[in-house]
Amino acid sequence: MNQNLPVWRRVGIDLRLLLMCVLLAALGIGFHILSGGVFLSPENLYNVAQQTAVVGIVATVMVLIIVARHIDLSVGSVMGFVGVLIAYLQYTSGWSWQTACLAGLAVALLVSIYQGWLTAVLGVPSFVVTLGGLMSFRGAAFLVADGKTQPVNDEFFQRLGGGYDGGIGTTWTWVLAVFVALVLLVRMAQRRRARQRHGMPVEALWLELALVAAPIVVVFAFAWVMNSYRIPSKDEAQGLPIPVLIWGVVAVVLSFIVHRTRFGRYVFAMGGNPDAAALVGIPVKRVTLMLFALLAVLVTVAAIVSIARLNAGTNSLGTGMELYVIAAAVIGGTALAGGSGSIFGSVLGALIMQSLDSGMLLLDVPIGRRMVIIGQVLIAAVVFDVLYRRKFGEN
Amino acid sequence: MATPLVQLRDIHKSFGGIKAVDGVSVNLHPGEVVALLGHNGAGKSTLMKMLAGAYPIDTGDIVIAGQPVNIRTPSEAQAQGIETIYQTLALADNLDSVANLFLGREKMTPWRTLDDHFMEVQARKVFHRLNKNFTNIRVPVRRLSGGQRQVVAISRALYFNARILIMDEPCAALGPEETAMVGDLVRQLKADGVGIFLITHDMPDVFGLSDRLAVMKNGKLVGTYRTGDVTEDEVLGMIIAGKRPEGKAQTVRAE
Repeated sequence: MNQNLPVWRRVGIDLRLLLMCVLLAALGIGFHILSGGVFLSPENLYNVAQQTAVVGIVATVMVLIIVARHIDLSVGSVMGFVGVLIAYLQYTSGWSWQTACLAGLAVALLVSIYQGWLTAVLGVPSFVVTLGGLMSFRGAAFLVADGKTQPVNDEFFQRLGGGYDGGIGTTWTWVLAVFVALVLLVRMAQRRRARQRHGMPVEALWLELALVAAPIVVVFAFAWVMNSYRIPSKDEAQGLPIPVLIWGVVAVVLSFIVHRTRFGRYVFAMGGNPDAAALVGIPVKRVTLMLFALLAVLVTVAAIVSIARLNAGTNSLGTGMELYVIAAAVIGGTALAGGSGSIFGSVLGALIMQSLDSGMLLLDVPIGRRMVIIGQVLIAAVVFDVLYRRKFGEN
Repeated sequence: MATPLVQLRDIHKSFGGIKAVDGVSVNLHPGEVVALLGHNGAGKSTLMKMLAGAYPIDTGDIVIAGQPVNIRTPSEAQAQGIETIYQTLALADNLDSVANLFLGREKMTPWRTLDDHFMEVQARKVFHRLNKNFTNIRVPVRRLSGGQRQVVAISRALYFNARILIMDEPCAALGPEETAMVGDLVRQLKADGVGIFLITHDMPDVFGLSDRLAVMKNGKLVGTYRTGDVTEDEVLGMIIAGKRPEGKAQTVRAE
């Protein structure tokens, strides 16, 4: 099919994501040199990966929110609110961490359904609803514990945030890497067989193998780096940090939702042409509400990881996170006009944002200057998006 | 007399005090093409959107093949065999042709996931019926030509076996060759017993394709006539001045 297309396009390589991979590599190497060989050390990469997870988890679903022509500016505040609540229920109310997390999820769902209902059913622009939410839920985060920091002490719970005992160990890291590689290979084989069965042309085997080999190499390289970082007081290396594992699972699940389910297709259809979506019978309001509910689930997951990492819930948790999350989505190729974006792109975007932030921290760039730069990077990403789409005629 | 396929009876619709459709009744029989004519804002698209389930009816009845039905959503209209080709085509530009063909009615695997291979194979067949050169079906429809986009929109009606087809300005954005294709298709569907409402401004389409024509002005029905009974001037008189031609009988069906 589509023999008139160039090979890289036919096999589904996204030029833009490739460019972002190059940018990420360039950032890594640049900071490595400037920091005198610290940035790409296993210890730093371990920390960067772990720090990115919270932003990364929320960015995956922010992609879908933006694709559906909405925005959520309140994610940082809601995460702070839910995070403090979960910590408060454990520390002050003495609940088990499981019950506290479920209660946090319920509250997050209520918040999200409320905002989603205003947006989907009453038609209030999500920008306004969540701008109000940005302020309100930051206030709510303060009210939960009257501004007092709530420590969390459960050892298992703390592992969810990474940290000292928060790696899955070397053996499991290798097992997981092999498993991911096998899944990629099996999926490729299945896709080939299905295409042949339906009489559709397939690409050359070596080409498809090469395309699968690239991510496999990255996975093994990453596993090797994570397995090279040993905290001096411990015998075994850390392996994959649990927050990164959670982020990976979230990204895979959301990719599945986007590509293989009706819900995912409807979200994209609504973003591409809301009128058409309604005319062909897509239940637009219900899908929008479901989307906000999904956001609530992932904000709760992010809140759990985040308080587990800090060993405490504070009322400033997640302040300014909305900017990082939206920037990650946009850098990863999500169009603010709606209708296009990818989960994998958001993973790259989150890594780029965090690398930039951590890299500058490592180089002792003062906080004021860091904020100026990070803010402008978001704008640069949007400018790039506009120019790229104009050039490739996607609008 | 056989039962009409569609009876629209005394349909009313207001938007904020403005009567968009004011007491209109029209019938449609199997294998018949009824052209709906009128100025922009005459209410013809609004009337059809109510039949398609895109707008709820204020008052009035829809009777399909003798059964009164309550159509409140596009899905309920589709369940009655009503397919609509909108003037805007109602395509999600960011999705490919296959996704657009099945949009809202995706074929699922037993595991509740999208059955992409099935949908692609089916889509290929139905697109091929309409245009043998249409092969780039996996690119977003925004990259397709006007004719190809029209093929995707029309394919929905074909694939899901429309019993009642609403075509809103189907040829407005098409070249001569594609217009001829739409004409052939209308005749073919007509022969298969599909009833077609055709909204158009184009007089050659009206006289070339329709059996009857209904003219609307300011939300009201001016009249319904056999196409063969009236001249182009008389039709224009109805559209522009709302003037019924003298000595011509109105009709509820083409004999």
